[in-house]
Amino acid sequence: MKPSVPEIGRSLRRADGPSKVTGREKYAADHYGEGLLWAGVRRAGVPHGRILSVDTAEAAALPGVVAVLTGGDVPGTNRQGIVHKDQPVLCREKVRHFGDAVALVIAGDRETLAKAISLVRVRMEPLPGVFGVDDALAPGAPLVHEEWSGGNVLLRATIRNGEAEKALEACPVIVEETFEVPPQAHAFLETENGVAWQEEDGTVVLVVSTQAPFRDKWEVSHALGLPWDGIRVVGPVLGGGFGGKDGATVQCLLALAALHAGGRRVKMWWDREENFLAGYKRHGARLHYRLGAREDGTLHALHCRLFYDTGAYAHLGGEVMALGMEHAGGPYRIPHTLIEGWCVYTNHPVAGAMRGFGVAQVSFAAERMMDLLAGKLGMDPLELRKRNALRQGDRNCAGVTLTASTGILECLERIGGHPLWTGRETWKGQAGPFKKRGVGLAAVWNAMGYGRGLPDSALAKIELTPEGRLRLYSGVSDMGQGNATAFVQIAGHILSQEDETIELIQPDTARTLPSGSSAAGRTTYTYGNALIPACEELRRRIVGRAALMLLVDTLDDLELLPGRVRHPASGREVPLSVLAATMTEHERICISQFLMPVVREVPGTGKEFRIGFPHLFFAHAAHLARIEVDELTGTIEVKDWLAATEAGRVLNPQGFEQQVQGAVAQGIGYGTLEEVKLREGRILTPDFAAYILPGSLDVPEIISLVEEVEEPTGPYGMKGVGEVGANGPLPAIANALADGCGISMTRAPLTAERVLEALRRKGTPGAGETS
Amino acid sequence: MKEVFLPGNLEELWRALEREPAPRPYCGGTDLLVHLRSGKTDPDALVCLERIPELSGVREEEGGLWIGAATTHARLLDDPLVRARLPLLARALSTLGSPPVRNMGTIGGNICTASPAGDTLPPLYALDGEVELRSRDSSRRMPLRRFITGPGETALRPDEILAGVRVTPDGTYNVHHFEKIGIRRAMACSIASLAALLRVSSSGEIEAARLAWGSVGPTVVVSGEAEQALLGKRLTRDVLEDAAERARKAVSPIDDVRASAAYRREVSGNLLLRLMEHRPL
Ligand SMILES: Cc1cc2nc3c(=O)[nH]c(=O)nc-3n(C[C@H](O)[C@H](O)[C@H](O)COP(=O)(O)OP(=O)(O)OC[C@H]3O[C@@H](n4cnc5c(N)ncnc54)[C@H](O)[C@@H]3O)c2cc1C
Repeated sequence: MKPSVPEIGRSLRRADGPSKVTGREKYAADHYGEGLLWAGVRRAGVPHGRILSVDTAEAAALPGVVAVLTGGDVPGTNRQGIVHKDQPVLCREKVRHFGDAVALVIAGDRETLAKAISLVRVRMEPLPGVFGVDDALAPGAPLVHEEWSGGNVLLRATIRNGEAEKALEACPVIVEETFEVPPQAHAFLETENGVAWQEEDGTVVLVVSTQAPFRDKWEVSHALGLPWDGIRVVGPVLGGGFGGKDGATVQCLLALAALHAGGRRVKMWWDREENFLAGYKRHGARLHYRLGAREDGTLHALHCRLFYDTGAYAHLGGEVMALGMEHAGGPYRIPHTLIEGWCVYTNHPVAGAMRGFGVAQVSFAAERMMDLLAGKLGMDPLELRKRNALRQGDRNCAGVTLTASTGILECLERIGGHPLWTGRETWKGQAGPFKKRGVGLAAVWNAMGYGRGLPDSALAKIELTPEGRLRLYSGVSDMGQGNATAFVQIAGHILSQEDETIELIQPDTARTLPSGSSAAGRTTYTYGNALIPACEELRRRIVGRAALMLLVDTLDDLELLPGRVRHPASGREVPLSVLAATMTEHERICISQFLMPVVREVPGTGKEFRIGFPHLFFAHAAHLARIEVDELTGTIEVKDWLAATEAGRVLNPQGFEQQVQGAVAQGIGYGTLEEVKLREGRILTPDFAAYILPGSLDVPEIISLVEEVEEPTGPYGMKGVGEVGANGPLPAIANALADGCGISMTRAPLTAERVLEALRRKGTPGAGETS
Repeated sequence: MKEVFLPGNLEELWRALEREPAPRPYCGGTDLLVHLRSGKTDPDALVCLERIPELSGVREEEGGLWIGAATTHARLLDDPLVRARLPLLARALSTLGSPPVRNMGTIGGNICTASPAGDTLPPLYALDGEVELRSRDSSRRMPLRRFITGPGETALRPDEILAGVRVTPDGTYNVHHFEKIGIRRAMACSIASLAALLRVSSSGEIEAARLAWGSVGPTVVVSGEAEQALLGKRLTRDVLEDAAERARKAVSPIDDVRASAAYRREVSGNLLLRLMEHRPL
């Protein structure tokens, strides 16, 4: 693609493309510095224990070691956490999971660091552990946080609309099932890392791989007792995040190390094993469902009990569960709902945000329930979904009346008309020996934005530099999803400048303005909405200045072009470089804020949610999976994929499709392969040899259909598309399995071993009868 | 920091190996480096075999094929002799790791690692491969089945290296079948695999059978009983089910993070059923 003035709705070359493929783009991990020191963490190594002593003498005596710090050395509260401040930077009294941090070591090189970490002597009294939801809720269970008033329950919440229990009794058709999903790892390429140092004036500077640089400032300031304005966080582009870098990873540890490094730079970079051990995960969950319908297939009542395992610390556990509960009924009209949730502490790795935040879990259950119901009713699963699909003006399962764009029905119709669906019976009939083919659907949705209680705001800033070029200050990280490209597209479009000439400043708390986290499908919506008026104002100023310089008395007679303003009537032009030189900084910089609209009529339920409930905007998608199952091995081969997605209007078709593709691939991993396996709190899948991600052969050609339904509040009508696609694959594949093999799977991932076991129990010929 | 020797011929190798303590031989490093990183092994010095011409390549010898230990999987897959005469091995190699791993990893490394999941081993067992072991003063041969003595254990003496493997394919086999179950479709460690060689007569009778399973025992599993069950029979479901039942008795798999023993046992038998699809070449 050639440099051009971007158009909205047309694919634009990625703003980070050339710099990334040539290796010029600097990730946090690429930052070093002269006299660099290395910091690392001594981890607990037990799932639950009381710290008796931490002896640092031997480690500290090792030549090359700069400092060995323990909980007692942490100034401030020593507590981090986005909503609940329950996670120590360095544990003082006890440890709550295998990867808890017990000591921080700073050394001159990595070998010395590793040696010193192994020399920290920790004496620990083991405590009985809490290894799952049942353990956590058992009477007399050991407490993960003795001081927490809720016992092991971080959050217990209820969403109630109508009279679900009574209504269920009146339903002629009821289906009931319990599902389980495991923790999933984000598996980003660039593991958690950063570099930090203290400047002469005391300011602590962090260059860190983070999804939330502005929140990090608060975290560090609170945990270490540093003045808020004495911290600067620089957030370069990320080598992947998916939610796993939303929240403190290395930040507080690095800032603490910087305080002991005498002005030298300190780098911390978790290796893959430490990423598995100490990094955040998607919540494992158990989901109990009862769904009732009328004989004609109209959904009538839903009761579910959802249990989320948040691990040792809250992170965003309550909010993740809240979003899961809000989506528990799927994108359908259900007049009576009772959705109960328990988010519990355990001695498992810390669970937090991940693409499809709480929703990927319930989508499995909700969409399996729809197929179970279709089976019981003898109805076509697509017809059942269409009959109940939410439309604008309906009330969703959380009791919120949908006033924004709602395109799930259109997505389902697109799937229904596609040859992959209409030709499915012929295709299924062509399976080879020992193969069974099945076709499955899933209808999914995903809210955008933080939801009520937490203002979802962005402050956009655009500058015409003194040299006459555009400089765009992004306050919200780009972890690869392409929001920065969208910002360039918007600015270039409004200001008629070629994409290549626009300089992009990545988040830096000293240069860019607070714009929230890179999360919740909100980045382009919220920042984009802030950016449009800022760019429009700058355009007026540029043209206005040109009018003065060219002595033209109406702005309509002037044309803003790449690098210049032109007066077509006379042919006279003024270059932006000349024009900018005449402007003061105040004139050259435009700033604008946007606050995402929220639900006005808040339903009288879900009162336990302090923040993050309910939501106003949703993206929607319908997925179709065609799979082939091997009866001898239980292996699933995903053959074809069709995703019809509605996320408002599309700014950049290429970026949109990339999000769909990536989400489906990640979802196929979640559906068929990925599981953080745990035994008594220990991770049995500690690296990529044991934790298996899908490869190129496991992901089929993905056909992405776009269903555009304008969202009037969005920048150019768009909504966030990053997450919704991750929710479809697990249920679509499970439904295809049921279709092809007649087996109803309730545990994810759908591994060959589980499939074969289900086939065997069903007595399918082909699978060996013995075992 | 470790010392690494890079001999360019056998003489230089023998000299390197005379040092005290002897450096650890390696080739592609695709197994060794993983173990070095995890600390599972920590030799003082290493000696690399990849630049020694005498240890690389494929040639016809004594009516069979000699394959140098330092030959990479990728090179074997490209080799016309291997493709024509050892299709069973070629099929297994095509499932091993990924292109980069096949470009680095060698058949000698796969054999010396002696993992029950080593993908070249079931075919080499079925083909009755023979290893050639050399030191400065000695050269000896033994069947691969004897060379591998346990998981990760071989009969290699401290002064020896594996120089090559010799295979004498029996051209009368007309079914060459290899299948591996991994968690994903490529770059996956074997959960269970089956290598099978059959001679099926024009009337459909099984005249000879060689079967070997990977990843379902401490070393590759062979089962005379399962082979016997096929002889004189046809490739029908009943016959294969009978052999499968014997195979399930012959294997001794373990539970690990990839699969349970029960699953491995079951599929060890099931994999035989795939032979039904085979029409003799
Ligand atoms: C990502 C990845 C994927 C993999 N996938 C597979 C797979 O699908 N299937 C599979 O079977 N394997 C797999 N492997 C393992 C490995 O690649 C193979 O076993 C390979 O054949 C080893 O060969 P190498 O030359 O790299 O061995 P090296 O690592 O060099 O050596 C392995 C061992 O053998 C010894 N050794 C090597 N050559 C000799 C010799 N000539 N004489 C004496 N001792 C010797 C070394 O001392 C060492 O103990 C994988 C490895 C990785 C890293």
